[in-house]
Amino acid sequence: MSAPAIVRVRDVHKYFTRGSERIDVLQDLNLEVMEGEFLGLMGPSGSGKTTLLNLIAGLDQPSEGEVWIGDRLVSRMSEGELAQWRTRNIGFIFQFYHLLPVLTAYENVELPLLLLPLTAAERKRQVLTALDLVGLSARLSHRPGQLSGGQQQRVGIARAVVTDPTLIVADEPTGDLDARSAEEILALLDELQRSLKKTILLVTHDPRAAGHAHRVLHLEKGQLVETARAADETRIKLG
Amino acid sequence: MPSLLEDLQNNPLAQATLVLSALPLLALLAWAIWQPKLFLLALKNLRRNSLRTALTCLATLVLVLMATLILTVVVTLDRFTTEKARDFKLVVTERWQLPSQMPLTHAHYLDPSSPSFMLDRSEIGPNDFMTWSFYGGTLDPGKMTRENIVFFFVMNPKHIIPMMDDMQDLDPALIAKLEKNRQGCLLGRERLEAINKRVGERIKVTSMNYKGIDLELEIVGELPRGRYNTTGIMNESYFNQELERYARTKGKHPLDSKRLNLVWLRVRDRATFEKVAQQIETASVFADRPVKCETASSGIATWLEPFQSLLWGMKWVLVPAILASMALVVANAIAISVRERRAEMAVMKVLGYRPRQILCLVLGESLLVGGGSGFLAAFLAWFTINAVGGLPFPMLWFQYFMIPTQALFWGLAMGFVTAFLGSALPAWTARSVKVSEVFAKVA
Amino acid sequence: MQIIIFLLMALGFVLGIVVLVALAFSLAALAHALLPVAKVPFRYTLRNLQVRWKTTLVTAVAFTVVVGLLTFMLAFVNGMNQLTEGSGQPGNVVILSDGATDEAFSNLPGGISVPMFPKDVQTMVRRDGDKFWAVKEVYVIVNQEIANAGEGQRKRRFVQMRGIDDPELAARIHAIELAEGKWFSGRRHEVVLGDGVARTFGKDLGKDHAQPGDRIKIGPRDWEVVGIMKPSASAFGSEVWAQDTQVGKSFGRDNSYSSYVVRVKDPKLAADAAALIKKERSSQAFAAMTELEYYAKLAQTSQQFLYAIILVAIVMAVGGILGVMNTMFAAISNRTKDIGVLRILGYSRWQILMSFLLESLLIGLLGGLLGCALGYLTDGISTSSVVSSGQGGGKSVVLNLVVDTTILAAGMGVAWIMGAVGGLFPSLSAMRLKPLESLR
Repeated sequence: MSAPAIVRVRDVHKYFTRGSERIDVLQDLNLEVMEGEFLGLMGPSGSGKTTLLNLIAGLDQPSEGEVWIGDRLVSRMSEGELAQWRTRNIGFIFQFYHLLPVLTAYENVELPLLLLPLTAAERKRQVLTALDLVGLSARLSHRPGQLSGGQQQRVGIARAVVTDPTLIVADEPTGDLDARSAEEILALLDELQRSLKKTILLVTHDPRAAGHAHRVLHLEKGQLVETARAADETRIKLG
Repeated sequence: MPSLLEDLQNNPLAQATLVLSALPLLALLAWAIWQPKLFLLALKNLRRNSLRTALTCLATLVLVLMATLILTVVVTLDRFTTEKARDFKLVVTERWQLPSQMPLTHAHYLDPSSPSFMLDRSEIGPNDFMTWSFYGGTLDPGKMTRENIVFFFVMNPKHIIPMMDDMQDLDPALIAKLEKNRQGCLLGRERLEAINKRVGERIKVTSMNYKGIDLELEIVGELPRGRYNTTGIMNESYFNQELERYARTKGKHPLDSKRLNLVWLRVRDRATFEKVAQQIETASVFADRPVKCETASSGIATWLEPFQSLLWGMKWVLVPAILASMALVVANAIAISVRERRAEMAVMKVLGYRPRQILCLVLGESLLVGGGSGFLAAFLAWFTINAVGGLPFPMLWFQYFMIPTQALFWGLAMGFVTAFLGSALPAWTARSVKVSEVFAKVA
Repeated sequence: MQIIIFLLMALGFVLGIVVLVALAFSLAALAHALLPVAKVPFRYTLRNLQVRWKTTLVTAVAFTVVVGLLTFMLAFVNGMNQLTEGSGQPGNVVILSDGATDEAFSNLPGGISVPMFPKDVQTMVRRDGDKFWAVKEVYVIVNQEIANAGEGQRKRRFVQMRGIDDPELAARIHAIELAEGKWFSGRRHEVVLGDGVARTFGKDLGKDHAQPGDRIKIGPRDWEVVGIMKPSASAFGSEVWAQDTQVGKSFGRDNSYSSYVVRVKDPKLAADAAALIKKERSSQAFAAMTELEYYAKLAQTSQQFLYAIILVAIVMAVGGILGVMNTMFAAISNRTKDIGVLRILGYSRWQILMSFLLESLLIGLLGGLLGCALGYLTDGISTSSVVSSGQGGGKSVVLNLVVDTTILAAGMGVAWIMGAVGGLFPSLSAMRLKPLESLR
């Protein structure tokens, strides 16, 4: 792959201490994600995949090692810097959507834009574009409670892309959805990657979801143990 | 101050609050015995969100404390103006004018130990009589301040213990000292502190109301704490002697024949009062300086009349408003915990708990919080305020208000009633939780 | 006792600091909400208040009770202050007997007149021709049986009676006008009633207020009402005025007066005139003060009430604050996920803090507005009270509650402080939430 690595994780070690006990979550981990790549991250519960995702997204700091996104050393930024950096560079998609229940679909998508120096008109254009992209132009003024799970997740995706971030991280985005809605969401992610050339980091334990990724990494007991082309992976698992 | 027993016999507020605190207490007790598991669950629930419980308790505490103080003032004043049926005091004062100023001769006709006594000795005995003159002055005529003013009841020391309110327990040795040392005086604790004098020291008083009659007094003792904190008592014979001396040297003092302010008599019952009052008011000896007779309580009531709207406001606006805001705080807290625990209550219903038990659970939690902190507040007020000598609230000649023991029931009752009012609606909501709806929302 | 005072002071100090910090934060929150900076959208705050409207309302109503009561009580003190201020005329000097501070304890000789004062004073006194603007007054408090008192009601009351040597002049000096009838002639037992006392006597007679022609009993005899004063915010509205000679004769104060009131040419001279009269001690000594001073001293009682009211208000405010704390803590624990999402999207701790503080302030202001509206309803209500200098004496007066902008501002201020203090701790706890943990 000729594109430069946009995410570089170098010798990252992450542990928690509980009392006198030290629990290692990630050990000597190295990882590079290319710009425009759709990377799947799999592993059993407690394997540390969400921790890795949080480190890359700047929500958590490694105990040792470095995390670079583009030319920024994320692992050394202060909390305030990280907050600002996240708004511009990272789009989050959550398993349980995490929309604010009292705000409409439109307002939820607008939320991250309020932190950026944009005019009201610019904001409106970007929100409408994002909602159009996820096919929810007709549901602008609905509240999360009035939308189905799949629709809520689309609002979540629109909120993730509306700031035009460098990297989109998705933590089990289909974990709470039925098969059909899940497939729609995954197709939407494919579409984002293809048409907008977004770099996507997808954490899942669902092989079907991982099947959409270009490359799938396996995380077990804090270490990357296997690398395989997504297509092969799918074939192996589905037999 | 009346004992708790007297209050429970006579005071409607004491009776009402006793009932209002006893009923919920009994209910809680019965509940604890009948369904100890549920009772324990209520206690556990209170511990679960200890921050909310603490905030609610604290709110109830401060508000009950305030209401207790206000009620103390109202109830105390009410008590002074409530007519007694037996052994009450009769006040003889100048008929029309204020301040009442009568000639000293008036007292002779009313003093059972005087030969010119005009009443029936079988009705008014030697221990049923007392006279008061008021003498006020300053220790520093050059610079009169609130601190250096002293005020005395001028009277016969013999009459202090039998006739003055709350003086039954005064040390008789003090009376002996006062009788022996004509220039002796007793002062209240707070006055002593204000003028920075101790028992045994002498003071020189420049009079404010008896111009030219300046007295030298020796402080022979301290008055009991409480209502006499800011006043003093001195021997009438010294005062009279100084007025006579003034008359010999400078001619009669302008207030010479106006020096008697109040005469007190104790009467056995209403009928005696009516008879004695009739005798005094129509007596020819008082014709040129007419007098009137009142019961002490009706006299005080007249003085308090201008304060009526204020007292009414304290009783019927302030206290209800405090109780209302208390009920709102409780209602809010209980409603929040019911809302947070809807799922849990639905599970309890699934497990077979009856709506009534869930209702009891919510009510019980609320009553425990309200009654507990209400009682604590009243107890704190009763204990600490009485320990420091009463609540300072100067009003007429009332300076300090002691918290009556019945306040403990007020605290309990206020806590219980507001807790009940505040939690009735949330408890009913909890009772009517629909299992299907709750789980539909959770899923 | 000392320990308790020390503890109370320490508590007051801590509370004071908390209030100041909360005020600073709340002003920042206001600025944050109004300035065009990035912030959690206002709609978010508003909608949340709307969604849990029952809790919002219950919390706000607790504020309403506190603020309404505060407004009501302050209106009472304000009414008393206006009364004591309104009773004194700027150009009047009140002369009492030496040593007296209250006219109830003052005895002036019957022959008192302006020429008894120093020459300088005489030239200051206003005059029509050779008649000085000066009035002799004898003030008595009569312990009066109440006519037609019902069973269980008070049997006596105090009636304040003022004997005047020249009613028309006295009316001019004290700026009093008649609403009905005429001034007394001095030939018969006639009285003019202040508007407040006219209502009191009216009740005895079974009507709204007494009118000219009514007969009332004061002291040993009956008096005919010949006039009623116009309502004014002054202590005179609670007095019965009659001819000096008749008051003196009826109450044993023949040829003796309580006060002598003179009007100087220019209000600026009043203080000087009083000082000169007080200084002159050769022939006869007097106490003298401007009428404004005299009545200002009677405001002592309202000061005392004010302290009591402040205490009550503080305690009730604490109750309200604890209530809003419950509400906000619950709101925050219901919305930890919201907070987590906002933080992950890039909102700062500060922006979260401001948003929740604003929410609490809004509850406070809503309650405060309702409370002020409620308190405003008490404006103009007539009630009775006592004004005194706190050293004996004192007058019972009829007064009107006065709600003015200062009081409304005080009410809103207290609501603001309650909202700020009550919201501060919950908002700080919201601020400290860790985004990852709050999403779990």
